[in-house]
Amino acid sequence: MHPMAAGGEHDEVTCVDFWANGFGMRVRIALHELGVGFRFVEEDLRVRERSELVLRMNPIHRSVPILIHLGRSICGSINILEYIDEVWGQRVSTRLLSRDPLERAHARFWADFVDHKVFSTQTMFLKSKGEEKEAAKAELLGQLKCLEGVLGDKNFFFGDEFGFLDIVLIPFSSMFRGYEQHGEFDLEVECPTLIQWEKRCKEMESVKHVLPNEEMMYELHKKWYGIE
Amino acid sequence: MANPVKLIGAFGSPFVHRAEVALRLKGVAYEFIHEDLDNKSDLLLAKNPIHKKVPVLVLGDRTICESLVIVEYVDEAFDGPAILPTDPYDRAMARFWAHFIEHKSSRSSWLALWLDGEEQKGFLKEAKENLALLEAQLEGKRFFAGDSVGYLDIVASGLAHWMSVLEEVTGVSLMGSDANKYPALRRWAKEYTSNDTVKQCLPDREHLTAFFSTARKDKLRMAARMMLQQ
Repeated sequence: MHPMAAGGEHDEVTCVDFWANGFGMRVRIALHELGVGFRFVEEDLRVRERSELVLRMNPIHRSVPILIHLGRSICGSINILEYIDEVWGQRVSTRLLSRDPLERAHARFWADFVDHKVFSTQTMFLKSKGEEKEAAKAELLGQLKCLEGVLGDKNFFFGDEFGFLDIVLIPFSSMFRGYEQHGEFDLEVECPTLIQWEKRCKEMESVKHVLPNEEMMYELHKKWYGIE
Repeated sequence: MANPVKLIGAFGSPFVHRAEVALRLKGVAYEFIHEDLDNKSDLLLAKNPIHKKVPVLVLGDRTICESLVIVEYVDEAFDGPAILPTDPYDRAMARFWAHFIEHKSSRSSWLALWLDGEEQKGFLKEAKENLALLEAQLEGKRFFAGDSVGYLDIVASGLAHWMSVLEEVTGVSLMGSDANKYPALRRWAKEYTSNDTVKQCLPDREHLTAFFSTARKDKLRMAARMMLQQ
């Protein structure tokens, strides 16, 4: 049973998502972090057609995750994280984003980097072969090292508390072993600080609850990207 | 008192415009550092090593990159009229449509303007559909969130001012000149570009047309082809 947020008995919250969707994992981790009870409605992304619910709640992009709160839909994982933080973070005095505008700006900048650089690179890396694959592998490792630089010697991306940017990136870790197998490298060697951070994140109840079985993740991605 | 605010920018960039409008709406004085994007300075490369683009907001030793991130920062860090709505759901809607403009609508419009042949036709159709969605969002309102210039107007500013210039330079009819098509967007574009604060940082139309009519045209055509590979 999911714990209920204080005073939220009639705040019906639904998350429409697929178990292996990294973007959706962010939303589910955030809801758990803030103790927001929600109904999980699974959308099977292995099926080509989207459900009537998704078409109705996200007609423009027809994608998940979708957060439905008080009958209204909020789409876009980063968007949803900010919404969750603003609506429930106040109630439980745990903010996912820092209160400092500069730190918030940096968190948003790096979230954008993860979404528009890291994600497309990892997709290219998984889909390609030969020289293209080697180039994508190098780029991906470079980007992960860049994120290591942002982490520095802190426990989490913006200090001692697990927060927004940790939540944005941690779902990718469910494919770390997959990347290693696919690219024949060892992340403990390439990005040791990031692996330490991954271990710390995995001690959080919310992360433990949401991250999927890694073998199943890799098998599914192998099918999706036609990897032997 | 706070550190002096500096904005690294370049002429003709709608992204730089967004940052300037936000600063001016809040009444923040800033120094504009002009960057030559064909010959990037050490300053820019140091301040924005990841993307090497403008705008970059510099406050002492603090740096903020990416125009949308800058606009939200300016809204949160400085007093003055709110740029984003205050209600969480309204903010989520504003961010949703900003993301749509930034990653769907602008991309399809840009490719429709700079490509040619069959591919261009496909993007032209997509771009017009995206514009229709934005038209519907305006719903006869003066600005996207009501009566005053706000976040989504700033994000969509390319449509208000750059679109007609680019249509003229490329010869592509996207919004076109038929007043019956996209009436709300046309009315909004006039409202936006005649706003007193906006006018102060909008590049002069003639200069903008000249800017895009140079050798830059071929560069942009090539860059559009490369965008397709991504």
